[in-house]
Amino acid sequence: MARLVGAFAASHGPLLVREWNAIPADQQRRLDSAYREIGSRLSSAKADVLIAVTPDHWSNFSLDNYPAFCVGVGATNEGPPEPWMKDFPHKELAGHPAFASHLVKTALDAGFEPAVSHRLKLDHGLCIPLWRMQLASMPAIVPLIVNSIEPPFPTVRRCLEWGSILRKAVRSFKKPLRVAVLATGGLSHSVGEKTMGAIDEKLDKETIRLFAGKPEKLLSYLEKKLPKAGNGTEEVRNWLVAHGAADCRGFELVDYLPVPVVIVGCGYASWRTGG
Amino acid sequence: MRDYWLSKLFFDLQAPGVAAAYRADRESFFAKYSLQNEVQNALRSDDVPFIAQRVNPYLLRYYFFTVGMKDEEFKRRLRDG
Repeated sequence: MARLVGAFAASHGPLLVREWNAIPADQQRRLDSAYREIGSRLSSAKADVLIAVTPDHWSNFSLDNYPAFCVGVGATNEGPPEPWMKDFPHKELAGHPAFASHLVKTALDAGFEPAVSHRLKLDHGLCIPLWRMQLASMPAIVPLIVNSIEPPFPTVRRCLEWGSILRKAVRSFKKPLRVAVLATGGLSHSVGEKTMGAIDEKLDKETIRLFAGKPEKLLSYLEKKLPKAGNGTEEVRNWLVAHGAADCRGFELVDYLPVPVVIVGCGYASWRTGG
Repeated sequence: MRDYWLSKLFFDLQAPGVAAAYRADRESFFAKYSLQNEVQNALRSDDVPFIAQRVNPYLLRYYFFTVGMKDEEFKRRLRDG
């Protein structure tokens, strides 16, 4: 039987790469430390497979078709297509078709219908965290793309429920795989809007606080706040998937810091998964 | 409201080499993408607020980044528009 050996979240943002040197030194240290801590925990978990819950920043999907959820079932995922990510050390990242297909079947059996892709480009949304975490070795990546970029978005409740699908898929996979979940994105930020650059620290701290309590309160809060928050804040959906995968046990906050240079409220979390 | 062809242009600019070709000759792209005249004029004049009403904000930001507008100028035009 497979086991869930960890669930984590880490923020991303292009300016973490493009403007790294402009970030004040104390914030650089904290960001570096947070990514490394998540990386260290993920390495210690010795995950064979990492379910990467991440958005697609127009790297794969367009207005022709923008799925709410898409599982990458291919043997190979492509590295980031952005030119400024050219130094990311992996041009390709191995997938895990057997587990990914099992995840899709588990979802379908439960009444969830994800899109499926046999070859996904994994953009900066995932690859910046992977890069900064400095993993000892790269697990196979099973991407779960969640639409938090182009409305209409899946409901926050559905995202939490997707987490329980991940948990169920791990527990019902017959081979002895060690599986971890990494949610990327959030917390508050605003991209390409009049409010671009705004970070809502109050919203972020309340969101983090509510992750420790009953899911209904968290969902209710996000349903109310997300429509008025910066568009990047929608990526908290990925955190909800990780939360569901961890059976809503709550997380240890590794760090949270608003970073104006990066225009993101940067959050890093490690869930209590319960095995 | 999304302008499909404008969005498609911005999406396609991400392919290797296409952005450079666009920067070198915007006009040749306009006909290919069935862009309305007012949209073409907005692209010629880097009219951020006009274009902002027609595409996803992430694509908007990507477009102006790729044509060389600095973030501070982009944000100023968005705010003031």
